[in-house]
Amino acid sequence: MSKLYTFLKYFFITFWTVFVVAPFLWAVSTSFKDFQSVNSKVTYIPWLDFEPTLEGWRVLVKSPAKGGVDIVEPYFNSIFVTCTASLISIVLGTLAAYALSRFTFKAGFVRNNDITFFFISQRIMPPIVLSIPFFIFLSTIGLLDSLLGLVVVYIVLLMPIAVWIMVDFFNRVPKELDETALIDGCNPYQAFYKVVLPNSIPGLIVAGMFCIIFGWIDFFFAFILTFTEVQLLPVKVVALNSSITPWWSLSASALVSVAPLIIVAFIVERYLSKGNLSGALK
Amino acid sequence: MEEQMAKIDLSNISHTYNPLDPKPTYALNPFSMTWENGKRYAILGPSGCGKTTMLNIVSGLVRPSKGEILFDETPVTDLKTEDRNIAQVFQFPVIYNTMTVYDNLAFPLRCREFTKEKIEERVKAVSDTLNLSSFLNSPARKLTADQKQLISLGRGLVREDVAAVLMDEPLTVIDPDLKFRLRRNLKEINEQYKTTLVYVTHDQNEAMTFAENIIVMDQGEIVQVGLPKDLFEKPKTTFVGYFIGSPAMNIFHSTVSSDHEVKINDTTIKTNSNLGNLKDKNVKLGIRSEFIELAEKEKSNTVKIKLTRVEDFGNFKLLTGKMGDLVIKSKVEREKPIPDGELNLYFPPEKCCVYSDEKLV
Repeated sequence: MSKLYTFLKYFFITFWTVFVVAPFLWAVSTSFKDFQSVNSKVTYIPWLDFEPTLEGWRVLVKSPAKGGVDIVEPYFNSIFVTCTASLISIVLGTLAAYALSRFTFKAGFVRNNDITFFFISQRIMPPIVLSIPFFIFLSTIGLLDSLLGLVVVYIVLLMPIAVWIMVDFFNRVPKELDETALIDGCNPYQAFYKVVLPNSIPGLIVAGMFCIIFGWIDFFFAFILTFTEVQLLPVKVVALNSSITPWWSLSASALVSVAPLIIVAFIVERYLSKGNLSGALK
Repeated sequence: MEEQMAKIDLSNISHTYNPLDPKPTYALNPFSMTWENGKRYAILGPSGCGKTTMLNIVSGLVRPSKGEILFDETPVTDLKTEDRNIAQVFQFPVIYNTMTVYDNLAFPLRCREFTKEKIEERVKAVSDTLNLSSFLNSPARKLTADQKQLISLGRGLVREDVAAVLMDEPLTVIDPDLKFRLRRNLKEINEQYKTTLVYVTHDQNEAMTFAENIIVMDQGEIVQVGLPKDLFEKPKTTFVGYFIGSPAMNIFHSTVSSDHEVKINDTTIKTNSNLGNLKDKNVKLGIRSEFIELAEKEKSNTVKIKLTRVEDFGNFKLLTGKMGDLVIKSKVEREKPIPDGELNLYFPPEKCCVYSDEKLV
């Protein structure tokens, strides 16, 4: 019985690993191929099966004038927009979440839960519903096709995530912790940033991770709200495609696109495994 | 350091959690009370009787719906918690997870900008008292539940200048052995530093052994304030009689038959209370099982009971008997021979309490 269990366990782990890792291996090997190697027979091993070339990677940094596609600028644009929007969303979202968790709001029939739901409902709507309002809004304030405009839109998209995660997290941080801090002589602001916030780092990290992921992978708004001045990475990567699919440069750009997320995942994983997620009480 | 300990006056305080309701339910009914500087108080009562609300009002976490709080005659009702100089320890340990034990203990002093030397001295003193010295540099979250509660307690005791240390069933999570020692420690701290200690509990033994003054509460009402002895011998209401003492006070339905006599079934019992002014002749007679004596033969103030059970508790025997359908419990010395079947119990008149409308006459 236990042998069967062990076998099944390892079988599924192996299966899953292959399932997850294979596309990466495929992308890595393809990124070093040229037109010939991709379109002839199936090949696996560099130097033996095919002659590796850096052409797929070079295209990414060459300027369009020299026949390249230059994803460097969109890359940094994406980093800037994602990080700025995530940071602002986390700061505002955390403050909102703390208020929603600790104070009771009443406005007509609206209660705390309704306000929290209002935030989350921004994410329930299909994005396309928001596209026209956003387009008109940004063009009215003259931020269409600009980094700042994208940051504004991304804050709208990311803050609900931060609020949602942090409300839940703060609800699990016992109220007595704030009260103890007050009794110990903090004013409410000190209680928040000296006591509650340090205890909420795991929540902040999770919220930050989700904001970064959702900001980084967004294609829809990056596509609709930008034209020529500013481009974000996902749009640029899609634009790589042409009548002859350049599998090599597509693979290379896919790899550099997921790299930041992999790094984020490694950092977050270290924090999450520290066991910091348990509350302050007990 | 400046002595800041204070007399605490609660004047006409009442509190409701739903003030906007046309018929608000009161967690605390109006009351007034004074906590003298440097004394030990225990607030005793069943769960949900308003004990915690009372503490939170004193510490400022809850603003009373009505009434005023004064520290040394100065009103503090509108003062915020952080400005009140009160320490409060909750039922379950609350620690600052991200800090070391030392930083936890030093936190209240740092918030109030004490000097580094003073902080070091106080933290050392408190950690010695609470046996935490060897953990000072460990992260607080690594400690066991009872050590964490010691930290909570330590944060309350680290400030010498507090007006009062309020403790809300602080020893619930601590094991019995340590509990006993800590209670003694708290007493010593109180005697040494003259810190007013207020201790909320639902455990009467804890209250009796800890406090000089016990405040018994029930359903948002303060039923009796007094010394352990008063609560035991002269409970002001039948509730106190039931709640204090183990077993609970014997309480029988009875009728007034003369100025100093009541009748239980057909037996007349003399009491020292004056019953002449009572309108309602239906009263209750209460007597502690400790005060009921075994009588050799029938005489005045004895009742005849049928023995139904004898329990040996080691240091005493608990007799349970029936008189008609009334159950009577009596504690007798262990050595006393217990006759089988029927026996006579003597009710000393001075120990009989008569309750009219649940209140002591």
